[in-house]
Amino acid sequence: MLPEAAIEAPTFEHIYFNRNIDAPRGQSERFSSLPRNTGSRSAGGNLLLGSIDEIQAALREHTYIGDRALATTLFLASSLRKPILLEGEAGVGKTEVAKVLADILDTNLIRLQCYEGLDASHALYEWNYAKQMLRIRLESDQSASDDVHSIEHSLFSEEYLIKRPLLEAIMSPKAPVLLIDEIDRSDEEFEAFLLEVLSDFQITIPELGTIKAKHRPFVVLTSNRTREINDALKRRCLYLWIPYPSYERELEIVMAKVPGISETLAEQVCAFMQKVRTMDFYKRPGVSESLDWATALVLLDRDELDVETVEATLGTVFKYFEDIQKVKGEKLKELVDSVA
Amino acid sequence: MTEQRILSDEERTRNRIERLVRQLGPRRGSLVENVLMFGAILRRRKIDVTTGRTLDALESLTYVDLFNREDFYEALRSNLVSNQADTEKFNRAFEDFWIPLAIAEGDAPGESEGFDPRKNEQEGEGEGENQKSSDQQIEIEAFLDEDEADDGGDEAEDTPGFSAEEVLRAKDFSNYTDEDVAKVRKLIAKIAPKIATKLSRRTKPDRDGPIVDLRRSMRSSLKYGGDILELARRERKRKKLKLVMVCDVSGSMDVYSRFLIQFIYGLQREIKNVETFVFSTRLTRITELFKRKELTQALSAMSDQVADWSGGTSIGGALREFNEGPGKGLVDGRTVVVVISDGWDRGDPAVLEHEIAQMARRCYRLIWLNPLLGSPNYQPLCKGMQAALPYTDFFLPAHNLDSLADLARTLETISAA
Repeated sequence: MLPEAAIEAPTFEHIYFNRNIDAPRGQSERFSSLPRNTGSRSAGGNLLLGSIDEIQAALREHTYIGDRALATTLFLASSLRKPILLEGEAGVGKTEVAKVLADILDTNLIRLQCYEGLDASHALYEWNYAKQMLRIRLESDQSASDDVHSIEHSLFSEEYLIKRPLLEAIMSPKAPVLLIDEIDRSDEEFEAFLLEVLSDFQITIPELGTIKAKHRPFVVLTSNRTREINDALKRRCLYLWIPYPSYERELEIVMAKVPGISETLAEQVCAFMQKVRTMDFYKRPGVSESLDWATALVLLDRDELDVETVEATLGTVFKYFEDIQKVKGEKLKELVDSVA
Repeated sequence: MTEQRILSDEERTRNRIERLVRQLGPRRGSLVENVLMFGAILRRRKIDVTTGRTLDALESLTYVDLFNREDFYEALRSNLVSNQADTEKFNRAFEDFWIPLAIAEGDAPGESEGFDPRKNEQEGEGEGENQKSSDQQIEIEAFLDEDEADDGGDEAEDTPGFSAEEVLRAKDFSNYTDEDVAKVRKLIAKIAPKIATKLSRRTKPDRDGPIVDLRRSMRSSLKYGGDILELARRERKRKKLKLVMVCDVSGSMDVYSRFLIQFIYGLQREIKNVETFVFSTRLTRITELFKRKELTQALSAMSDQVADWSGGTSIGGALREFNEGPGKGLVDGRTVVVVISDGWDRGDPAVLEHEIAQMARRCYRLIWLNPLLGSPNYQPLCKGMQAALPYTDFFLPAHNLDSLADLARTLETISAA
């Protein structure tokens, strides 16, 4: 059906002369009549987002200021039912996306925080041993049925099951937003396990049987890129890199999220942060640090930056001793002067 | 009664393509072909694109306004790119492929917004670095493609006899003949896996282990009405270590680095957690190369490139590049870092000291391998070596196979601690 040869050796002339996309300009109306997939929110708990524009508006409404690329990727994720992988430096707002999404879709946010050594039992489920043991004691005291099997059967029931985030997501009565946070902190084995779960949202608990999700969760994975994630897992997802915001964008964010801040202060804070991010630090501050700092300054009743105040509040921006040392003294004065 | 036939992958792909063609409308059949072609081009430019993803990209196009170039771009990018580093390559391919198409179509430049995918990129320092090193990797791989190693011949050879092997193990790498090279590869292939299994074993049920296996204990307690009379145990958790090798391949180190890296190559096949970097004038990550190719050729290529660099290299500079780049994410409390160099540092010893100190702070153990230690009269007198010594946990020779075996034993000791 497809010309194999064409795929193997495309040249640009080939493309030009064989081009069949024959829509001359100005004819976009013709294509608006084509059957198009428009998502719609349907009953039954399936999570679909309306359109890219709708999402952008909704994000703004919930004071998440992001660009159209984000809205597009979210829209595609819901339309294609694919998980989304958000990568970026720490503190740029990746986790927040999931939170806002849950608000917009009016559903639960189920969060799985990853860490090194995370395994299936901490992510999926565990039996409540203590409760089970108590039950056994009660049974044996009451000298009821001596049948080990029937006791065992009731012990390994849902009542004694501790549901961890992944199982919660699978058993959720309404399709949730499943946030798998900082997947780069887990290891390859966990990724392989996750891949399996994400492919059909169905797990088998030996004592209970197979549990299948009624409603597919909207899955958001985040990574701080401290480690390369397994290819197979990456391929499963739509990918978006979230960069540090531009000055204008960060200013928008600060003004929106820090009530009562003077515009001058906001401008100075953002300019300062932009400069700081061009410098070399062990851990560059992100947007969350900008917001923390701005909030702190407002609490201290400041309208603009001065060296003393900045020095006193450096802890909201930098979290490592070496980084603070690097910026103190002359350097700090320079920075403040350049933005004030 | 209808029979449910299980469709093959090919059939399913075909069905999907047909469905998408229908969805896109009668005039769009060529769009499908173009997208598939685009996928193939990306693959040639070393972006990991599978058919499934290309089809997802195509399906995404059914959801967006094809005339909005920004959305069109995003629909493709989010499906076809999985790495920030690949985005630059993707943008170039996108421009090379789709823009001329659109222009040829009669889309006047003034009409569209002149959307430039590059405007969306914020060039961070890290991103630029990745791009450079992946370019280098492509160079190396290109070289390898031309000069595929002929590995077939060795199989039939007998392994060396006992005493011959002993002699070989003690022989300094710099004195190797071609024949020795072939033999040594076999020996390394023998040693490495043994080490690897020891380093990577996880816990397993063990009757006398120190950790109680609660789950199994519980189950067996049912027999006794809930009293735990038997404790099932697991053996002690071995520290799961990561190995990071940073190897000097500049002129002076040339001869030794081949064998050391051959050894690591053997290890890497078995252990998942080994990352390898080499440096001469700049730092290159070669972990991925290991997973695919015969490495000796790659090293020849690299050392040829720095043939005019006599004497030494800036070790401090290379370590700095490592610490500020990939090292940040890789080196932590579970990492064993192995630096392989003769210590002839052309750069500022203060820099070397600063960087090695930082590395030592961040990692679990720091091992320095120096081939010059093989010579009995060697004293670490050069400034570079002196600066680094106080920070290393182990200072070992690396000039022949016996020393590699020693390294293996040291690694074992570290992981058992």
